[in-house]
Amino acid sequence: MILEQDSITGVPNSAGTFRRLLQYLRPYRSKLILAFFILLVATATDVVQPLLIKIFIDQYLIPRHFPRVIMTELGALYLGLVILTAVLNVVQLLLFEVLALDIIQQLRIDLFDKAQEIALSFFDKTPVGVVVSRITNDTQSILEMFMTVLSTFVQNITILAGILIAMFALNAHLALYCLFLIPVIFGVMTLYRKVSAPVFHFARQQLALLNAKLNESLQGMAIIQSMRQEARMRQEFGQINNAYRRARYRNMQLNGLLLRPLNDVIYSLTLMFVLWYFGLSSFSHAVNIGVLYAFVTYLSRFFEPVNNMMQRLNFFQQAMVSAERVFQILDHKEMAPKTIGDTHPQISRGEVVFDDVSFSYDGSHDILQHISFTAHPGQTVAIVGHTGSGKSSIINLLMRFYPVERGHIWIDGTDLRMIPSYELRRKMGLVLQEPFLFYGDITSNIRLGNEFVSDDEVVDAARFVQADPFIRRLAGGYHAPIGERGATLSTGQRQLLSFARTMAIDPVILALDEATASVDTETEDAIQEALSQMRHGRTTIAIAHRLSTVQDADLILVLHHGKIVEQGTHQQLLAREGLYYKMYLLQQGQLA
Amino acid sequence: MRVFLDLMWFFHRHRTRYIAGITLLIMVALLSLIPPRIVGLVINSLTHNELTHASLYRDLLIILATALLTYGLRYLWRIMLFGGAIQLATELRTRLYEHFTMMSPEFYHHKRIGDLMAHSTNDVQAIQETASEGVLTLVDSIVTGGVVITTMAFLNWKLTIISLLPMPVMAYAVTRYGKMLHDRFYLAQAAFSDINDRVQEYVSGIRVVRAFGQEDWERKNFITLSRDVVNKSVAVARIDSLFDPTISVIVGISYFLSIAMGAVFVVHGTLNLGNLTTFTLYLGQLIWPMLAFGFLFNIVERGRASYERVQSLLAIAPAVTDQPGATKRAPSGSITYAIREFAYPETSRPVLKDISLHIEQGHTLGIVGRTGSGKTTLLRLLLREFDLKPEDGRILIGDVSIQDVTLSALRSNIAYAPQDAFIFSQSVADNIAFGNPEATRDDIVEAAYQAGVLEDIEQFPDGFDTIVGERGTNLSGGQKQRISIARALLQNAEILVLDDTLSAVDARTESHILEQIKTVRQGRTTVIATHRLRTVEHADQIIVLENGTIAEQGTHEYLWNLGGRYWDMYRRQQLETQVEQGGVEV
Repeated sequence: MILEQDSITGVPNSAGTFRRLLQYLRPYRSKLILAFFILLVATATDVVQPLLIKIFIDQYLIPRHFPRVIMTELGALYLGLVILTAVLNVVQLLLFEVLALDIIQQLRIDLFDKAQEIALSFFDKTPVGVVVSRITNDTQSILEMFMTVLSTFVQNITILAGILIAMFALNAHLALYCLFLIPVIFGVMTLYRKVSAPVFHFARQQLALLNAKLNESLQGMAIIQSMRQEARMRQEFGQINNAYRRARYRNMQLNGLLLRPLNDVIYSLTLMFVLWYFGLSSFSHAVNIGVLYAFVTYLSRFFEPVNNMMQRLNFFQQAMVSAERVFQILDHKEMAPKTIGDTHPQISRGEVVFDDVSFSYDGSHDILQHISFTAHPGQTVAIVGHTGSGKSSIINLLMRFYPVERGHIWIDGTDLRMIPSYELRRKMGLVLQEPFLFYGDITSNIRLGNEFVSDDEVVDAARFVQADPFIRRLAGGYHAPIGERGATLSTGQRQLLSFARTMAIDPVILALDEATASVDTETEDAIQEALSQMRHGRTTIAIAHRLSTVQDADLILVLHHGKIVEQGTHQQLLAREGLYYKMYLLQQGQLA
Repeated sequence: MRVFLDLMWFFHRHRTRYIAGITLLIMVALLSLIPPRIVGLVINSLTHNELTHASLYRDLLIILATALLTYGLRYLWRIMLFGGAIQLATELRTRLYEHFTMMSPEFYHHKRIGDLMAHSTNDVQAIQETASEGVLTLVDSIVTGGVVITTMAFLNWKLTIISLLPMPVMAYAVTRYGKMLHDRFYLAQAAFSDINDRVQEYVSGIRVVRAFGQEDWERKNFITLSRDVVNKSVAVARIDSLFDPTISVIVGISYFLSIAMGAVFVVHGTLNLGNLTTFTLYLGQLIWPMLAFGFLFNIVERGRASYERVQSLLAIAPAVTDQPGATKRAPSGSITYAIREFAYPETSRPVLKDISLHIEQGHTLGIVGRTGSGKTTLLRLLLREFDLKPEDGRILIGDVSIQDVTLSALRSNIAYAPQDAFIFSQSVADNIAFGNPEATRDDIVEAAYQAGVLEDIEQFPDGFDTIVGERGTNLSGGQKQRISIARALLQNAEILVLDDTLSAVDARTESHILEQIKTVRQGRTTVIATHRLRTVEHADQIIVLENGTIAEQGTHEYLWNLGGRYWDMYRRQQLETQVEQGGVEV
């Protein structure tokens, strides 16, 4: 019911989302109370100031009686209060802002932790930009909301309360009438929110359409131009542009009708009422000019916080949309596979057994069907097959990126699911098809976060994969900076670095996704040499694109549509003159 | 402030609107002087016991009338000024869009779509703010400030000077804070962009992170970076939280001075109590314009930078344009290439060299060769996406050089299905009729049939009305290609150009499409570039491109018997097909 109503106004279940956001305040309760207390004191010292002027006018100015000592004291008190208020306000503002920042820090860490544990399928389906935007931009707009709520709403409401209390102290009767302002202002706010939400939402929708149209046109410009549809596209864009203009216009009209201008009318009406009240009372008895002065001053200050709050209502709506998106990630159900049991088995020999493993990414279409094979310790098993045959999925399962749900993978006789992550990551080295380098330097890219790898071991690993010579030639050697994605290095060099990275942890089992990208001959030789070095003495599961690299494998599996259609050694497979043979011929041709 | 001069063309065009708006603003400023004055008058009557029912109600009515009038005027100037700014933004977006539609592919090689989007959204938004908030703040602070100070001076000029004494301190403090805030904000933004980059890298490299068990390390890293963002934001907050309290101290001192000195004047009889109250109320009205002036620099600075970016974008001229005296008559006839060499702008390596080629009207030309051999370039030159320099050669259709024809006339006669079939977020029917919006549904269905995509479309949830593209049903690569072919066929042009548009189409469908093209395009020219030799086997003429030159040229039989590159490629592709089929002979 609530949801339905919300979708009309364009405010997605904001009450629930807001409540959930407030939960984040809980750990900071004491800080919050302190900040609030200081705010209260600051408001009190602030609100007292016009009272002092009232006392001055009524008791001293009107009777023209100025005792020096009291005047000095009163003046000093006033100025003292002004400064005290300012100091307290600086403190409380800072406290609230830091609090909001701390909360967002926590929310960001929560999100990041969630991202660490979420299933890889989430990252396969969600564009990188979207994930990044959730963790950074959306939390930023929630931060703005917290700052607004804490610093604008809480403070302004406190100030309003303070002003009302001061008014009560001055003239309870009149102040009681002024209480009536609260429902009026609240009513205007609710009205504004009600009326503006759909308009605001509509404007955002139009903007989204506008951006989509623009983006699409820019992407498809070649087609638009070659089919001479420029005029039509301009016209279509013009229509959306105009719809957006009208939406913005409506938004502006509403703001003009209901925000500041209307507030000023309410202020004037209240002012009239106060003057009328004092005027009428003056006919029956003498009125207190100081009280009138103070009342008028308070009134003029009353509406600033109200304006402040109203101006920020839209912020709030934006933040709720962001929060909703953030919570969507935090609530994502599909998690990365976890270790089952706590027996802490170790990987020592490196035997890998696939036992009737079938796998599907989407639950309906099997990408692997009944895969069974054994890699004895130290052996190399090569997997070949054309694109889409399921080669990469075997590695995805072996690395436990995806859960094994049908069949089993045994490592040294232990179910893969029971091996602790730490053990798995230490003993199984992966070389990705596309070497991914991080921003940093050579050493940090070889070591990654594994602090147990010493500088010497980094150099050893680089030597081992023959990366050492080229690294030494770089300006800065092992501390040569690496730009984003290693753009400064050649493809072959990037591959060698990713080899070194794997060798630095000295794995027992090697999972190798061979690169398809061609590199220059010199580096290619180094890569082949490095690969055979790496495989030596390690169980290796290799996805091979170039058959020349797998000729000495102990077992070659030929995959087609997720099934093993042929298996054996290179010679055995050639003798069969089947699929492998044809692939071999094909590649021979390419080499010739 | 220069940005206001830059925008003068717009203000000038809408001068009635702006003059009216500013006049209204001035009127509002004047009207807002009235209520404090009335309060002062009432207080004076009260102190002198001169207040009567009639005078009280008259005063109240004046306030009411002022309030209602102000409300109306405030609403109106918003419509005038803010409405103008919205109009400006709309116009700028239109201009940018129209400019984009005129730019040649060269432009899109240099510019990233993200940047172009940013210019059309963020920059236009900033300009809009300059033209609304900026103009308002400028006018409002000058007018309100000026009017209020003048009125205060009329009440008591000495008191005015005294009460304004602390204001320069405020101006100094606000400017100083502003500068500090700017610097610190910049640092905070940089830290924020660091964490953005880091998360981006983390998400892109998630497999490496997981494979190497880097989670804890990444977490530490993330916390450090996000702590850094917090610290730098706290530095901003420190200054930010000084703003309001500083202002309230200055204002408090100002009040103090005016009450203290005002009291002296009251005692001396040069000022009455009511005027003193009025005076302090005016003082309150001064705070806003003072503050606003501080914001103004910020808004204007942003607006200027944005306006410059938009202007520089609009200043780029399209690389390919109609030549003076170009004919509007669509060219027709055989196609002749005579190219000495061609290199893309700002590159030196030629991608095409010594191309000499003649295609009879009605014939089919097949262009084969590896990626990067120059196939697409050859086609793009025909469409004049890039122009050949006169000394580099020319392309003729009939006997007319394509550069002597207007772009529109040339393109009206060529239907082009490019390599990456672009699909718009519209219905399938609209996508097919993209180049021919007047086409009837029957024509569309016919084109879909010819392109071998009819059966697919009929399977879609809403048939031809199914929304496809980014915000609709996802199409497979082959479906996209066939829709793009249908789109080109529906254009009914004399020359049909398919740039590797059949790569994701299976063999059976491909032969259907080729068959259809042959029958419906009788007597018209077709050019097909492809990786797959089978596609162009039956072409009248085949050229094999290698490194930008024609390596072999002739019919399939001729090239096959030649036993050269074509023969080699053909054999290999046969084998490849077998492997794809899982080793079965086809």
